[in-house]
Amino acid sequence: MISSHTVITVVRNFMFNIFSTSSIFSIINKLIKFFSSLIFIALAVGLTFALLISPPDYIQKDSVRIMYVHVPSAWLSLATFSIMTLFFILNFVFKIKNLQLINYSIAPIGLLFTCLAIITGAAWGKPTWGTWWAWDARLTSMLALLFFYVLIILSLKFISPVERSLKLATLFSIIGSINIPIIKYSVDWWNTLHQPASIKFTGTSTIHSSFLVPLFLMLLVFLIFSALIFLMKYKTEIIKMKKKGLNKYD
Amino acid sequence: MIKDLIFMNGYGVYVWFSFGITVFACAFLYYKTLKKLKKYEKELACKILELSEVERTAELKKSKILNQVFLNYNK
Repeated sequence: MISSHTVITVVRNFMFNIFSTSSIFSIINKLIKFFSSLIFIALAVGLTFALLISPPDYIQKDSVRIMYVHVPSAWLSLATFSIMTLFFILNFVFKIKNLQLINYSIAPIGLLFTCLAIITGAAWGKPTWGTWWAWDARLTSMLALLFFYVLIILSLKFISPVERSLKLATLFSIIGSINIPIIKYSVDWWNTLHQPASIKFTGTSTIHSSFLVPLFLMLLVFLIFSALIFLMKYKTEIIKMKKKGLNKYD
Repeated sequence: MIKDLIFMNGYGVYVWFSFGITVFACAFLYYKTLKKLKKYEKELACKILELSEVERTAELKKSKILNQVFLNYNK
């Protein structure tokens, strides 16, 4: 009979090897260089499609172009929060320092995209709904997500000791994760100003390919940017940790 | 053509504002992140330089990460 302690130890060792800083660090520089050169090409192609090639919508006209920055921002803000919550829980159970460093690096990216989703959403709302903001289920739940990001970042930054700040951030991320399905399904559960999802990962999308191509190109640009920022922040966190290790000589 | 691109049938202000704020915010985060990374790389390399010869050799031998940061900084 295998005890739960043995299982945790085996999983912990496995994850420790995967997430070991020294094995990852050597490829970080190469990846940063790769993504830095790739992002300008992807951005040029993405913007050309989004601003020039994509046709205006027959109802929303040119305001539909806001979708190319609004939708990828919203998707990434939700994805980042979900990944962060998973890593906080894994770190809480298995106590792997590297997961902690990964979360420190991910959180600001999620915060940026949540802010962008809300701001560009407001700029899209004004010409289509006639208002910048409404206390609608989708918009309000996105605002709640922003507050959770702020709470997590503030607790990681200002609360000490580290164990306490991590516990608090884990708690906020778990509570905040309840909000993720609410954001996703708010447009189906309630009667909202915000339109229901046009792009479905299971089932047929109700959006024409002439809009889908620029949308996915811009999503790719956002993904490359996120990867670049993540790698740079992650490298900074590793360096900070190594610097702390040298304090023994002070 | 250029007029159409700027005004976008009256929606130009909303579209350009959305794209502008996105590019600005991303560029700002990139700049802050890069600046912070360079600062910590420099601080770590200086800390390694402050060590005695024996301590430095031992630390650089022990850690691949310290070795890489130190070599990159001295390039």
